[in-house]
Amino acid sequence: MTDIDTLQKDLANLPPDHPDRRAAAVPAMLSLQSETGYLDDAAIEKIAEVTGLSSTEIEELATFYSLIYRRPTGRHIVQICDSVCCSMRGADQLLTAAEHYLGVSLGNLASENAPTVLPSICLGLCDKAPAALVDGEAAGPLSRTLLEALLKRLQTEE
Amino acid sequence: MEAILTRHLDQDNPQNLAAYQAIGGYRSLSAAFDLKPEKIIETVEAANLRGRGGAGFSCGMKWRLRGADAPSPRYLVCNLDESEPGTFKDRYLLYGAPHAIIEAVIVSAFALQAERAFIFVRGEYAKGGHRLIQAIREAETAGLLGRNLGGSGFDLHIEVHLSGGRYICGEETAQINAIEGKRPNPRPKIPRPSTHGLWGQPTTTNNVETLVNVPHILINGAEWFRRLGINGGCGTKLFCVSGKVKHPGVFELPCGTPARELIFKHAGGLDNDERTLLGFLPGGASTAFLLPQHLDVPMDFDPVAEAGSRLGTGSLIILDDTTCPIETVLNLTRFFARESCGFCTPCRDGLPYLAQILTAIATGNGSADDLTLLDEFCSTIATQSFCAFAPGAVMPLVSSLKNYYEHYEQHVITQRCPFDASGKEAV
Repeated sequence: MTDIDTLQKDLANLPPDHPDRRAAAVPAMLSLQSETGYLDDAAIEKIAEVTGLSSTEIEELATFYSLIYRRPTGRHIVQICDSVCCSMRGADQLLTAAEHYLGVSLGNLASENAPTVLPSICLGLCDKAPAALVDGEAAGPLSRTLLEALLKRLQTEE
Repeated sequence: MEAILTRHLDQDNPQNLAAYQAIGGYRSLSAAFDLKPEKIIETVEAANLRGRGGAGFSCGMKWRLRGADAPSPRYLVCNLDESEPGTFKDRYLLYGAPHAIIEAVIVSAFALQAERAFIFVRGEYAKGGHRLIQAIREAETAGLLGRNLGGSGFDLHIEVHLSGGRYICGEETAQINAIEGKRPNPRPKIPRPSTHGLWGQPTTTNNVETLVNVPHILINGAEWFRRLGINGGCGTKLFCVSGKVKHPGVFELPCGTPARELIFKHAGGLDNDERTLLGFLPGGASTAFLLPQHLDVPMDFDPVAEAGSRLGTGSLIILDDTTCPIETVLNLTRFFARESCGFCTPCRDGLPYLAQILTAIATGNGSADDLTLLDEFCSTIATQSFCAFAPGAVMPLVSSLKNYYEHYEQHVITQRCPFDASGKEAV
């Protein structure tokens, strides 16, 4: 049973106006996304059904949060910090290098196996600037060479 | 100085329950349960523990003002949504000692007689959040959480809320909306969360670093805690130092440690010894710049405020003389423009406009009128917006107009950035 099924089962017995239903919206989105990589329209409908909220309300939340994706993502996600400390240490050059290396603009998928690269607000890795999160794991300090090697590895590994 | 909060941190291999208990972990529970909740609050207030999340409000007073007669259910929220640029201290706590966070939440919830606590973890720290959930399960199995925990007669359930991102979720009332599953806009200031917070019930929110001090205060006493500080400060503080320094990092030092010691001793000084200090942000992105003349200001709430800035999260961001202050302010303003929740117009539309004007100046396309415009718009945006986000957002910009005006003029007069040649290093 997947997390979302468990959640659905837990919520099924609650009255329609129980506050836990609404409170489950973000956990449900993150849980479903961890399985599918992003939320398509069917996923939005599914979460609406599980929580009892309207699909418009779910859509409103999904588009508010930066870590909930409404577009397909690659098998790996690289978030490069572009905030102040990383910027002082060349983050903008890393972002340009990533676009150049992948041949697409940030957030777009170059090919089926390509990683998704996104700019991010401060990742709390200022002691590793310029830094990134690679599938949630900290990486840094990065250089252009290190970043390209990383992207290459993510692209080619099985 | 003996480290209090960071003594047992292990980022790679944090203690499990048994290891944590072996080093004295969870010892504060019996100390707390021997006291009446009001007595704990009195002790925390006497210790002068001030909020480490940015505002610096007295933790004990916040707890006392909620009132012992607050109707049930009562909630405690531990804010671990650290997103202030330049701030990474709470990450050390989360990844390094999850059980210390749980212990702190238990004794704090007991003081507040809160039966349900939430730990709000930023989505970017999800790996740490999962470790924390594991630690909570361990504590539950050992009877340290749940009904009649530790045989105390007190019931507490802790839930980890993993966030979907966005800086605004760190704001107390936006965070309450986020936990409830609503769009995380800040709420009106009245009614206060202390009476009408989560689901309309009494809710107390504290930063995680604030809370992890509480067990130590209970074990060692208020006077001991006060004496840990220097130059009038109380307790220790997790200072972050980053930017143009040799050894950026988190340093646990007495509250009141001068900036000079933090930057030049603990963080190893500027990257390049031939450069000089241009200035620093003392408390994260939403604070005003301080200058080299402020290096001896004790890093504590009141002295930093007297110097014209805020201690904020105690995160120093260092600029050397090759860092363009205008480009730095532009980066900060872009950050805030992107992170505005969009609820009120001055913030949603005003901040991107400021970023646009700053871009023009930074790229050599600005005019003298732009400088006047920036000043005027900052005061309009700060005073007309709904929550504390926009006033914080314009703080570095306003202070840069005061402290670095000649740099702005130079950009406008020469129509180029004078730092272009020296400030940019290839990575």
